[in-house]
Amino acid sequence: MANSNLPRRIIKETQRLLSEPAPGISASPSEENMRYFNVMILGPSQSPYEGGVFKLELFLPEEYPMASPKLGRICLDILKDKWSPALQIRTVLLSIQALLSAPNPDDPLSENVAKHWKANEAEAVETAKEWTRLYASGV
Amino acid sequence: MVTIVIYHFAVPRNFRLLEELERGEKGIGDGTVSYGMEDADDIFMRSWTGTIIGPPNSVHEGRIYQLKLFCDKDYPENPPTVRFHTRVNMACVNQDTGMVEPSQFPMLSNWQRECTMEDILTQLKKEMASPQNRKLVQPPEGNEDQRVDQKGQ
Repeated sequence: MANSNLPRRIIKETQRLLSEPAPGISASPSEENMRYFNVMILGPSQSPYEGGVFKLELFLPEEYPMASPKLGRICLDILKDKWSPALQIRTVLLSIQALLSAPNPDDPLSENVAKHWKANEAEAVETAKEWTRLYASGV
Repeated sequence: MVTIVIYHFAVPRNFRLLEELERGEKGIGDGTVSYGMEDADDIFMRSWTGTIIGPPNSVHEGRIYQLKLFCDKDYPENPPTVRFHTRVNMACVNQDTGMVEPSQFPMLSNWQRECTMEDILTQLKKEMASPQNRKLVQPPEGNEDQRVDQKGQ
């Protein structure tokens, strides 16, 4: 089988992600590459992202779990210096979901959005709602 | 017969480009080649700019060459398109468009998935110092604007 030398830990984690998904999170491995996951996170209720469906790609590098999963450009400490092999794919995705509930403008990817958030939070939240409706409505 | 090799654990496109982005941001070697994303808002990370500082002991010495690299959705299974934005007289470069002609540049025509944008720029720098290119008469400097921008081609 193509993925026969996939580490047992990854197989276990994958099985559990599929059989007991965390609320509002789905993660399924690609058929051709079991280290490559399509992820969907629902915007948390009571957040500006409520009603949105956020699609992500996740990749488990050769060094996983000694190195963190790769997830694009997301500023999250456990994806960088705070990674520990005791953490899992599930923990990482729950942290991203939590980040949607409590964005951290002190560690931004986009300086402009962070500036807006700090200068006028109410207006920034409106923009986030608008963009969720426009770009993440899941249609 | 066509043989298709599938790398089951190959790094998927976007993660590969993120690795290249990270490496480009840190800075490479002696700094004579460099690259970065042209449009930070493009989530598909397609358009890149590269810079080559002309190698010593050639007509290119001290010249700064700017290039555009375009990594389409099929990168890195297929090579990017590479175009000189700065005019240059080189055997593998189309004089009118600035395109690096894959037929004259084996790294593109015999593309290997493991090759990176850094490899392309480094190889082009080597080409500049090769016997067939190092003495070619070059157009005057400072003429970037004479060429029509052909983004993405």
